[in-house]
Amino acid sequence: MARMKFLCDAERCIECNGCVTACKNENEVPWGVNRRRVVTINDGVIGAEKSISVACMHCSDAPCMAVCPVDCFYRTSDGVVLHDKDLCIGCGYCFYACPFGAPQFPQAGAFGLRGKMDKCTFCAGGPEADKSDAEFKKYGRNRLAEGKLPACAEMCSTKALLGGDGDVIADIYRERVVRRGNKGAEAWGWGSAYGQPPKGGVAPAAPAGGKS
Amino acid sequence: MIRRLLVAAAVLTLAACMEVEQASTPERQAGQTVRRDTAAWNNEPLANGPKWSKGDRTSWEEQIKKRQLAQHEDRRIYQ
Amino acid sequence: MLLTRKTNGSAVQQSRLAQGLNGVLAKTIDRRSFLKRSGLTAGAGVAAVTFGSQLPFSMIGEAKAKDDSSGKIEVKRTVCTHCSVGCAIDAHVQDGVWIRQEPVFDSPINLGAHCAKGAAIREHGISHDSHRLKYPMKLEGGKWKKISWDTAYDEISKKMLEIRKQSGPDSLFIVGSSKHNNEQAELLCKWARLWGTNNTDHQARICHSTTVAGLGQTWGYGAMTNSYNDEQNSKSLMFLGSNAAEAHPVSMLHTLHAKENGAKVIVVDPRYTRTAAKADIYVRHRSGTDVAFLFGVLYHIFKNGWEDKQYIHDRVYGMDKVKEEVMAKWTPEKCTEVTGVSEADVYLVAKTMAENRPGFIIWAMGQTQHTNANAVVRATNIVQLALGNVGRSGGGCNVYRGHDNVQGATDLGPNPDTLPGYYPVAVPGSWVHWAKVWNIDLDWLKKQYASEALMARPGMTVSRWIDGVTEKTENIDQDPNLRMIFFWGHAPNSQSRGSEMLEAMKKLDLMVVIDPYPSASAAMFAMVRKDGAYLLPAATQLECDGSVTASNRSVQWREKVIEPMFESRTDHAIMYQLAGKLGFADQFIGKKDGKQNLRIVKSKSGDEPILEDVTRNETNKGTWTIGYTGQSPERMQAHMRNMHLFDVKSLRCKGGKDALTGYDMTGDYFGMPWPCYGSPTIKHPGTPNLYDTHLHPMDGGHTFRALFGVEKDGINLLAEDGIANKGSDITTGYPQFDHVLLKKLGWWDELTEDEKKAAEGKTWANDLSGGIQRVAMKHGCSPFGNAKARAVVWNWPDAIPQHREPLFSPRADLVEKYPTHDDVKNLWRLPTLFKSVQQKAVKDETHKKFPLVLTSGRLVEYEGGGEETRSNPWLAELMQDCFVEINPKTAADRGIRNGEYVWVSTPGINPGGGNPRLKVKAKVTEGVGPDTVFIPFHFSGWWQGQDMLPYYPEGAAPIVRGEAVNTATTYGYDRITMMQETKTTLCQVAKFQA
Repeated sequence: MARMKFLCDAERCIECNGCVTACKNENEVPWGVNRRRVVTINDGVIGAEKSISVACMHCSDAPCMAVCPVDCFYRTSDGVVLHDKDLCIGCGYCFYACPFGAPQFPQAGAFGLRGKMDKCTFCAGGPEADKSDAEFKKYGRNRLAEGKLPACAEMCSTKALLGGDGDVIADIYRERVVRRGNKGAEAWGWGSAYGQPPKGGVAPAAPAGGKS
Repeated sequence: MIRRLLVAAAVLTLAACMEVEQASTPERQAGQTVRRDTAAWNNEPLANGPKWSKGDRTSWEEQIKKRQLAQHEDRRIYQ
Repeated sequence: MLLTRKTNGSAVQQSRLAQGLNGVLAKTIDRRSFLKRSGLTAGAGVAAVTFGSQLPFSMIGEAKAKDDSSGKIEVKRTVCTHCSVGCAIDAHVQDGVWIRQEPVFDSPINLGAHCAKGAAIREHGISHDSHRLKYPMKLEGGKWKKISWDTAYDEISKKMLEIRKQSGPDSLFIVGSSKHNNEQAELLCKWARLWGTNNTDHQARICHSTTVAGLGQTWGYGAMTNSYNDEQNSKSLMFLGSNAAEAHPVSMLHTLHAKENGAKVIVVDPRYTRTAAKADIYVRHRSGTDVAFLFGVLYHIFKNGWEDKQYIHDRVYGMDKVKEEVMAKWTPEKCTEVTGVSEADVYLVAKTMAENRPGFIIWAMGQTQHTNANAVVRATNIVQLALGNVGRSGGGCNVYRGHDNVQGATDLGPNPDTLPGYYPVAVPGSWVHWAKVWNIDLDWLKKQYASEALMARPGMTVSRWIDGVTEKTENIDQDPNLRMIFFWGHAPNSQSRGSEMLEAMKKLDLMVVIDPYPSASAAMFAMVRKDGAYLLPAATQLECDGSVTASNRSVQWREKVIEPMFESRTDHAIMYQLAGKLGFADQFIGKKDGKQNLRIVKSKSGDEPILEDVTRNETNKGTWTIGYTGQSPERMQAHMRNMHLFDVKSLRCKGGKDALTGYDMTGDYFGMPWPCYGSPTIKHPGTPNLYDTHLHPMDGGHTFRALFGVEKDGINLLAEDGIANKGSDITTGYPQFDHVLLKKLGWWDELTEDEKKAAEGKTWANDLSGGIQRVAMKHGCSPFGNAKARAVVWNWPDAIPQHREPLFSPRADLVEKYPTHDDVKNLWRLPTLFKSVQQKAVKDETHKKFPLVLTSGRLVEYEGGGEETRSNPWLAELMQDCFVEINPKTAADRGIRNGEYVWVSTPGINPGGGNPRLKVKAKVTEGVGPDTVFIPFHFSGWWQGQDMLPYYPEGAAPIVRGEAVNTATTYGYDRITMMQETKTTLCQVAKFQA
């Protein structure tokens, strides 16, 4: 059975932001809401600069689900973590719980005035009828229901961002890591999100302190 | 109200040790109050998109895994 | 401004991310978080200002697209318009609305991949809140006023004819566009000539003119030798003057794949770029010292005997002279003195390239936009020739062109010195050739010009049009000053000396801007004028069909995605309609003697010529020199439908027929990269890698071009014995083919009777039957001859490339040793200063008042002048401020902190008095050294601290505006091509004070 995951290969990510605009385009996400973003660490530091594309990782044990006071999250049978905006009260707990900074709130302001939470849906829409106008307006496209994968991963300029079945991702990544002599063997965020490295044993366990 | 307080406590605990709390949420997942979603494979494929048999999870997954190889440029390069 | 505030929300996000990244983030500065891109308040504020309405809280977006389940969806295949990589896009269109964009995994070029711009291109089709110009406008009493197309045409043409009567046709300058497709570019080239002037140019001048000249003079053709894909076959890739990760992101797919297979990636750049972050070796050199660096590398190559001696003997002219000079002049210590690079680093680069062959040197504006760029390009070529890296798969000079069709527009478009296919205006035969292809009367054409002398004289260049307006009349090499300018798809902020451009705008009688986003020109003009300008809304390349040439010379055919939006019209419709008002409509469509080259159709744009007719009846019939003759629309369209059949590493089709037409693509290279010689019927497959003798010409193999004679001072210029294409019947060097050579060889009778008639008295380049090319290639010969590449270009001021200090050099102490050229009284019709500017700067001690090198470059979100991409909210959100990258030490010395506004001033001339200065934000980073600062060049809309919003036509201002770096860039031009200097000048940075 397919278990949907994301993986960003930091050896490949060039911070082109293709994933970011692919997401904006496909889901028509408004200005100020960033379901996906690219973070560059050590910008300009020779030999140390790395870029990583970050969004909701659809964690195995999703902290957002654990803390939601109104229980608005659910997990699809493909392992995608979604939520119901009709139930969401915009409290922001999920935001504090998320290790990836994924939850977004369309309105800024004091506590309680955040508006409904918004986040990456793995291009799987939400609880409205699949491919309906209502689903699109609230949650964006449902590419999975069209037999497609998330727009960000499908359009990544260097194929750094992989999105789809976790086993297939691990296979692709393992081949790549082996070819380049184990460089970048540690897939960023996999420890936090899925509690395990990509299958195949090339990646070491998540570093200690990954879940502080 | 009590539930709210519990959650608030859970958040505080999370800040201290997320890993433990993460593991303690299965009943919450089980008792979902949200509307359930239609499974992806229970949709009719688009006229100009990938094809599978509606309602057949295996055919949908096979199709998805095949499409996923588009993210693997080697398959295109050494086709 | 609201935009500048960072909200709690984003601050918290930052801290969460920091945790996720194990705290590494906390001690780093990220370009985007620094530039508060994710500020939520900012977003809401901008939404309120620019989108007119707040978004509903519970909704993520207002549905602009329709549900897939209703209505028929058509899929149109087009090509991204944002750079020269040539990424294919499938556009899903419903009821004329572009609703979805899907990746084309089948494309051998991009395999479905896109950068930020490509992935956001559908925004073009969203009419709601569009920032485009929506209808024709004129400036009247200082206000932009809506007018009709008819009024616009009437008033513009009346004014043009009136000025023509007073001052002649050379009073007009037409800035064309590298964003036009091939057909429109060819038409605009013709349009300018039918008006009667050579004063026309386009972005290629300020993009890769020095590349084209340098490569062309070395081995015959001025284009990228191989493809992006071919990098997968290479063992080393040196980027010198290219930040591909931001400028050509999808090319990095091939680069990184090569790297993972063991290729060494070297980046030499004053900045530690995103590309450098992916390199095995990074070397920081001083901006503008590329020749010194390259010859420093060459020194080690020669010293260690790493040069390919056999290759040099067989295929290179003059390397011995270069060697002599390099060994004497570019010892490690001298190289280090000039470049600032240690001997060890230079040696490492030389060794890595020598040990990892074949390899590429890759460049873009970092090499080309210098006062001595022609020398930089040639020095690069020489290093590659020394290593034997040219004319093979996996090695060569990969020149990354900028705009999507800058290669095609260079090949075919509005150039001041050439007609389509590089036929020089100075050679009368060129005019005979094209008059025949265009089906016009040459005598009529001659009368359109002010004189036959001016017809044969290359026009002014886009880099200098401002001087054409403001220079004293007696100093320019044509009768009138320029009085009218057409910006036909060109941003004014991409030209240097912006502050002086205002003076030119003050003096113009007429400015016409034809563009989907004409606003930067409009706002500048309106700042200093009350009237005299017209804005015409042009359709984009997604609103018409036509062919586009990627950097690797592959030609792809775009389908029209949507109809032109609002009142906009296609460029070719505007050309035809305006030609009608100016009295040369019939000539424009080649209507004479009962024959008509181009059919006219009615469209949303009104009457317009059919672009396929341009390809078939003009481009295919006339451009024999560079082989745009074989790519018929039918062949191109078959390739577009069958992309999956083309191999990614070789671009070749192993086999397969097009289902629609039955056309067999077996053996074709994708997009038939030019040269694709002969007529389409002989099925030349295109040339994937130039000058590759390992293949038969009918398999895409070629030799170096015999463009410079057969011998020089007794030394053979043709290839040595044994060097020829695979399967060649001549196994040594030979000159260009013409009717005489064909007869001598006894191959004349292999021409058909019709071909003989056409070929009599002709050469391979003007035989309209293509017979000479066909027969030459049948015998395994390249029609253009088989010669050596030239390391010494004796016809240029610097026969061997010289390092010359920039006009504004931070090293005044080196100017005497490495001075620039003498001033030139007449270069491209204008007096051009070199030494006098440089010496004055030394005398004035400019480098003390302005001690920092100012360089400029690309950001991934934006393209060119940036108006179009800064009008796209999905892109604009990512980069909301113009900024200057400044080293922590340099900043600290000036009391500047990260994120603060600063003034950057240069020694340029501000017509209002003083030096030009830019108000930008400081991004403090180690990415630049303490002696250098960097500003991206995509911004416009601020003028030395002032927002120009009041001067924009209503609703047509881009979302993000900022200082144009070129407002402050200084004087300086390449000695050969008039390329502008934008990569090395001087500046000072100071804390902002209002």
